[in-house]
Amino acid sequence: MAGEKQRTVKVIKEKRTVSEEVKANIKHYNKMKKLIKDALKEGPKTIPEIAKATELPAHEATYYVMSMRKYGDVVTGEIDDMDEYFYYHLNQKN
Amino acid sequence: MENEVLSYDALVIGGGIAGEETALNLAKMDYKVLLVEKELSIGGKMILLSKVFPTLDCAACITTPKVSETARHPNITIFTGSEVKGVEKKGERNFEARILRQPRYVKEDACTGCQECEPVCPVVVKDQYQFNLVGRKAVFVPFSIANPRIAAIDIENCSLCGACERACPADAIDFSQEPEEKTYQFKSVVVATGYKLFDPIKMPRYGYGKYKNIITSMQMERELAPTRPFNTILRPGDGKMPDNLAYVLCTGSRDHTVGNPICSQVCCMYSIKQAQLLMGALPMADVTIYYLHIRSFGKGFNEFYETAKGMGVEFVKGKIGKISEKENGNLVLRYDDIETGQVKEVEHDMVVLSVGILANDEIGQVFKTQKLEFDDYRYVKQIDELKRPAMTNIEGVFVAGAASGPMDIPDSILSAGSASSEAASYLALTE
Ligand code: SF4
Ligand code: SF4
Repeated sequence: MAGEKQRTVKVIKEKRTVSEEVKANIKHYNKMKKLIKDALKEGPKTIPEIAKATELPAHEATYYVMSMRKYGDVVTGEIDDMDEYFYYHLNQKN
Repeated sequence: MENEVLSYDALVIGGGIAGEETALNLAKMDYKVLLVEKELSIGGKMILLSKVFPTLDCAACITTPKVSETARHPNITIFTGSEVKGVEKKGERNFEARILRQPRYVKEDACTGCQECEPVCPVVVKDQYQFNLVGRKAVFVPFSIANPRIAAIDIENCSLCGACERACPADAIDFSQEPEEKTYQFKSVVVATGYKLFDPIKMPRYGYGKYKNIITSMQMERELAPTRPFNTILRPGDGKMPDNLAYVLCTGSRDHTVGNPICSQVCCMYSIKQAQLLMGALPMADVTIYYLHIRSFGKGFNEFYETAKGMGVEFVKGKIGKISEKENGNLVLRYDDIETGQVKEVEHDMVVLSVGILANDEIGQVFKTQKLEFDDYRYVKQIDELKRPAMTNIEGVFVAGAASGPMDIPDSILSAGSASSEAASYLALTE
């Protein structure tokens, strides 16, 4: 069973500690991910719409949406009528 | 490590196109080479490019066969994620180098590059291989065409949660790895450490870093590449598809105020290339290039410039004074129109700063017994630039590619040819 194997992470845990910054960064990413997911639950949105719904600055919304897209949480949809902004929606497979 | 080789004919420092070419040439002459690269993959900056000028060939299609030939050659040993800490000349054809190998925390021979570790990792930090446009995990395969295509753990940002280790089907994660510093012997050394990109944060009047729709040319290169961070070309400030882009040439080149008075040689042409690619990717977009002079000196370059004009790229001879941002994220460029002598203002929705290249002078600290000499611009000094351009002031140490000055890809390959033949004739004297 995989769970019973000797895990090397134990070895490094004896030598290193995780910085507060790393912990805070994980919390922050999870918070952003949740905010964006909640905003998209109502339906596809463009980045300015996501920024408005989450109250995030638009450049942060871009960064997090694109990172979520990279890891399969979000997929790119159609472009709007003005050919300016794409709609992003939740990946139903997740 | 068992059967580890501690002596080689040549140490090649830097695994970009010049280092690979040098290593391959020497290896084909049956010399044993150790290639040391500080990044997690060989391939240098070229492997991250979209296409190359003036042929518009796909950069990856040209560079990946060379990268894999280097990686597979039996006479070449490659250390990635490694640094040369010190080189001492002990005598003729006798160099000693201390090399530090950082652990990947992933067993190189077990990892299949399947990336199953990535989704389970809770950490997301900026992806340096996408020039911070998107995030990456703390455990990550550097980029899809990396060589070796093996995961690595960014230990500084790792939460030590162990999720990757549980998820890895190959049992490749190994947190017990430690940094290793060893001394190796060489008969010759080739410096192929390339260049650094100018950081436009040093020019506050352009607003890079503050105004989010201003990017560097390397960021645009990533946006254009098949392995790009977004689904298409987008403004990082709000995800808008731009339709009116500006290029600011000579950002950090030919500029005494930022300490780099020389021409970077590649910026005009890579900007013209990107402009052509943008016209293809965004057919409705307007692209304007603000320039001081277009230096299209190479074979086929002027024709390439004319093609861009024919495609509708606008060229404005103007010196940009200041860039400011409007509320909608658009950018106002204030510039001296050199043709009319007037100061003008114009609005664009995205700006690309065509950043110049700078010497990677850290290599200077590496040579201990005899100092490696630099030229006035901190590039490795060529002591006989006209007759033997690969020679440095240290006998047995040669220079290849952009470590000796700004140059494009074909010139880097030519320069590596020169460095490898100089190194080979130096080595031949031992036989
Ligand atoms: S470390 Fe394991 S899971 Fe990650 S890429 Fe390598 S083999 Fe796949
Ligand atoms: S141990 Fe580190 S790299 Fe592995 S999943 Fe956890 S945070 Fe990511």
